[in-house]
Amino acid sequence: MIDEVFNPQELVSTDGSQVAYEVFSSQEIYDLEQERIFRGPVWNFLGLEAEIPNIGDFKSTFVGDTPVVMTRTEDGGLAAWVNRCAHRGAMVCRELRGNATSHNCVYHQWSFDTKGNLLGVPFRRGQKGQAGMPPEFKPSEHNLHQLRVESFRGLVFATFSAETVPLEEYIGTTMGGYIKRVFHKPVEYLGCTRQFANSNWKLYMENVKDPYHASLLHLFHTTFNIFRVGMKAHCETDENHGLHSIIMAIKENQDAEAGADYKEQKIRSYQEGFELEDDSILALIEEFEVVATNHIQPIFPQLVVQQIHNTLVARQLLPKGPDKFELVFHFFGYADDTPELRKLRIKQANLVGAAGYISMEDTEATELVQRGTVRDGAARSYINMAKHQDGQTDTLITEKLIRSFWTGYRNLMGEVATGAGA
Amino acid sequence: MTMWYAVAHESEIEDDTPFATEAKGTPLALFRIGGAIYALYDLCSHGAARLSDGFVEDGCVECPLHQGLIAIATGEPRSAPITEPVTAYPVRIVDGQVEVEL
Ligand code: FES
Ligand code: FES
Ligand SMILES: [Fe+2]
Repeated sequence: MIDEVFNPQELVSTDGSQVAYEVFSSQEIYDLEQERIFRGPVWNFLGLEAEIPNIGDFKSTFVGDTPVVMTRTEDGGLAAWVNRCAHRGAMVCRELRGNATSHNCVYHQWSFDTKGNLLGVPFRRGQKGQAGMPPEFKPSEHNLHQLRVESFRGLVFATFSAETVPLEEYIGTTMGGYIKRVFHKPVEYLGCTRQFANSNWKLYMENVKDPYHASLLHLFHTTFNIFRVGMKAHCETDENHGLHSIIMAIKENQDAEAGADYKEQKIRSYQEGFELEDDSILALIEEFEVVATNHIQPIFPQLVVQQIHNTLVARQLLPKGPDKFELVFHFFGYADDTPELRKLRIKQANLVGAAGYISMEDTEATELVQRGTVRDGAARSYINMAKHQDGQTDTLITEKLIRSFWTGYRNLMGEVATGAGA
Repeated sequence: MTMWYAVAHESEIEDDTPFATEAKGTPLALFRIGGAIYALYDLCSHGAARLSDGFVEDGCVECPLHQGLIAIATGEPRSAPITEPVTAYPVRIVDGQVEVEL
């Protein structure tokens, strides 16, 4: 029965270059993804350790569309549990963030500790001669559903599956190296923005693996005629399943005086009358070994690590149904930021997020695909840019990262089918 | 300024059974351990539960709501989920009357 719902043969071509639009609007496929992907052998990004620095700190979030709470435990470690009461299923934690050493369900006041263990239940021993819980009731058998949690360079992940390989292995050496580039010293969480998009979560995955659209969709650069000199592109996937990837725009001749290139560009308008009043929005204070204006790195399925100029973000992608997702932009800086650098990071936060100068069109584009395809489940996309030159890594005119994503997706959705059907 | 208030007769307080009373509008739970009588503020520091509805065991009262333990003599928390102490009041016996200072 399961195999009928997701027939990889029909939905995604082996090389990932053709995808039936049904994958973006089918409720059955969406439900299957929750089981095979989000509760399957992957690590889901929950948040930054810097969001919960103190004992008892917690944040309410999701794995797929399952509500999950991540906490800092009494011993300084990390924990995550499904936000569903062990009694009769109510959400235990009703706040986005906070600090608590115990979490009480409002419905009947069952109380759980930071790790999700049941501490006590009201009237366990009854009251004044009235009966309580049966004698065989053992609190330790009624804990919240606890997930495996691991962190990599301050990024916190959880998995439902006992089969998932250790986090570091899941991320892989290549992708781990790029994460270390951004997370090379302690970070401080600055705050977040949230946005909803009326489209399928995988359309956003495609978007962050799609350097082809960058100079075409986003009008900010063309409007102000901001062209870049001495930029080198880099596109690469992880070495294992091809579901993670990186797109970088790297600045060459890095020893040239910082910012000189930029100034010489003389930001001017394509059309008369359009000019940036304050060009510091595009400043680039060099703070990494490899100087890049853009670093966009999806770690499948819930994280996108982003460095754009000096603004740093861990984006969290949360599916909310076949045609809805939420994006949470976690902005951060480094603990040792100078006040000027911190100010610049926050100013450049305007480049990204819901109304970001160079990102506001992204979810508009994913919604256009959703609306354009909803009645044509069997029709297929055409994802062939640079397919005959798949080995090229130094180009932005390619769709190879998307093809690699669909191949990995196909394996993940298909593999389990074999297991489940056996 | 504190004062002594008569809150019960000594004979009313039994081993193993908390006794609920009040003084000046303050709810109190009285306990007897061996010969001595103790008074605690009658509200758990963790939630909305009367310690006088709790169970007495090994010098502690177990909160009826989440089974957290509080030391009867001092009001100190002894187990999760209780982390904050509850107030323990001085007690004296005058002519068989239990008096509490608050
Ligand atoms: S549903 Fe949570 S205590 Fe009853
Ligand atoms: S209310 Fe007393 S232990 Fe929770
Ligand atoms: Fe984009």
